[in-house]
Amino acid sequence: MAMTKSRRRRITALVRYAVLSVWGVIAFFPIYWIVSTSFKLDTQWFAWPPYYFPSPPTFANYMNVWFGAEEYAQTQYAISSQKPLISLYNSTVIATTSTFLSVLFGSIIAYGVSRYRILSEVRMFQLLVLRMIPPIVIVAPLSLYYTAIGLIDTRLGLILVYFLTTLPYAVWMTKSFIDEVPREIEQAAEILGASRWRTVFEIVLPLIRSGLVATFLFILILTWSEYLLALIITKTQVTTLPIELSKYQGSTEGRVYGRQAALAVGITVPLMIVGLIIRRHLARGFSFGMVRR
Amino acid sequence: MAVAALSAAEAPPQASPRAISRQRAIRRFKLSLLAPLIALFAFLLVPVLLLQLYFSFHQWTVYLSSWWDADYVGIDLFKEVLTDPRFGWATLRSLAFATSSTLGCFVFGFMLAYLMKRPFRGQAIYYIIFILPMLTVPVVVAYTAEMMLYQSGPINDVITRLSGFEFKPSWLSNPNIALMTVSLLEIWNWTPFSFIIMLAGLSAIPKEPVEAAEILGASKWRIFWEVELPLLRPVILLALVLRFLEAMAEFPKTWALFQGGPGSATETLPVYIFMTTWQYFQISKGAAMSYIVMLMMVVIVLLAIQLLRREKRSLDKMYEQSDEPIAGA
Repeated sequence: MAMTKSRRRRITALVRYAVLSVWGVIAFFPIYWIVSTSFKLDTQWFAWPPYYFPSPPTFANYMNVWFGAEEYAQTQYAISSQKPLISLYNSTVIATTSTFLSVLFGSIIAYGVSRYRILSEVRMFQLLVLRMIPPIVIVAPLSLYYTAIGLIDTRLGLILVYFLTTLPYAVWMTKSFIDEVPREIEQAAEILGASRWRTVFEIVLPLIRSGLVATFLFILILTWSEYLLALIITKTQVTTLPIELSKYQGSTEGRVYGRQAALAVGITVPLMIVGLIIRRHLARGFSFGMVRR
Repeated sequence: MAVAALSAAEAPPQASPRAISRQRAIRRFKLSLLAPLIALFAFLLVPVLLLQLYFSFHQWTVYLSSWWDADYVGIDLFKEVLTDPRFGWATLRSLAFATSSTLGCFVFGFMLAYLMKRPFRGQAIYYIIFILPMLTVPVVVAYTAEMMLYQSGPINDVITRLSGFEFKPSWLSNPNIALMTVSLLEIWNWTPFSFIIMLAGLSAIPKEPVEAAEILGASKWRIFWEVELPLLRPVILLALVLRFLEAMAEFPKTWALFQGGPGSATETLPVYIFMTTWQYFQISKGAAMSYIVMLMMVVIVLLAIQLLRREKRSLDKMYEQSDEPIAGA
């Protein structure tokens, strides 16, 4: 009896490892493929049979895409200027600024909701509508409005839109952290004569700082990879990395898989690092704080 | 006499000048907490929505001079959109895409989470690998798919080698399967979302009911259906609803990979609105279409919110009861 039970358990474990490993391969293979393609010579990007390993590995794609290295720029697959670096700068500025604004004001609103009920429960859920309506339905008037007030094709324009569209996430996620802070601390601060704003900035927000960092990094993932709004609002002056990447897919340039891959890896790696740092908070973030821990 | 009694009852007992000024200060404070939200709405959201409304009732394209003296056409544009068969097909495609990818994400996410609910060796590594697809940029997913799915590409090659017979669907150029290709990409991309939500839910359900059922001699199957699944309902609904709404809005992968083609096989609602507005430059028709989609989505979202509100309450109750740390993280 005991024998069969332990044997059954071993079989269950084996089945579990098998199923999980199959999915692991499915999940990882495309990521492996784009990384390996970024190290391949141009003859191996689109070959039959496919090259599963870059042989020999080359840094040409990276040198050309990220540093505009001249010796690589001569080939027919050249990416001319250093546009990716400019886009990297734009993406960094836009994503961090809009995320910072979103978390700062989101946490202040969340504090108000948690302690003063400045938004009722229904209003809080209505705030989610902002996030749940497809952004495509407002991009045309947004673009015309931005043209009229001079925000089209500017970093500020994109920053403001991202601020607006990520605010629901920021409010909900930080509120789930603030709700876990005991109120007694604030009451003590009030008795000791601290002003309300001081209580917010010097007591409550510092207490949830790890939550704020998690929220910041989570929203950074969203703003860093956003595509549609960036595609519409930016034209020529300001491009973000996802838009820069989509420019390499043109009929005139043919298939420049290696270059695309080098660019794509550069965009994705920071995102993965950020995501893995906050992996414990991802469920909370994506569920607007409804699922915790 | 009665009037005096009434006013005495109305006035709060501590209506001293100090208390009144304190209440005023609190009201001011509450307003200033809310000010940025109001400012953002007034500056960004309200003008955009008004413009949207304006364009849906005025015929304007970019070829005409100034948009502010466009012709008023009443509800003609709405009529045009609602009788446009392409719009109907786009709606159907969006619904099919969102439903299939939501269910796919749910099935795989739930399976993985269920297999990982108890700690085992190597769990942390599986967890990290499983969430990686979610941490890729959607546009990158599209281009990676292009690099892998061409007819003699690595995916078909691997499947051919493993299965032993010729497997050569043209994922990207066959109009009959193009939408399914996007749906599979969406499933690959967002199964991690369902997975982490389910795992968080599974590790938070209280232990006692399961243990009680085990003591009573219930089979694993019965425990799953009659104890665990009902307890998981809020988490499951949350994962389904949020995923469905996101899938309805999916644009980057569909657009970067297909631009609506081959033919019009992947012309979902976001793609069709985008093409109407930015390729045919029919700003007004696009606006009317956007309004219809927006109303449609508002109805869906309000229903979803009703659901989420109810489920959030039972979730909050569940968290009050349990104190288990999340598995795998």
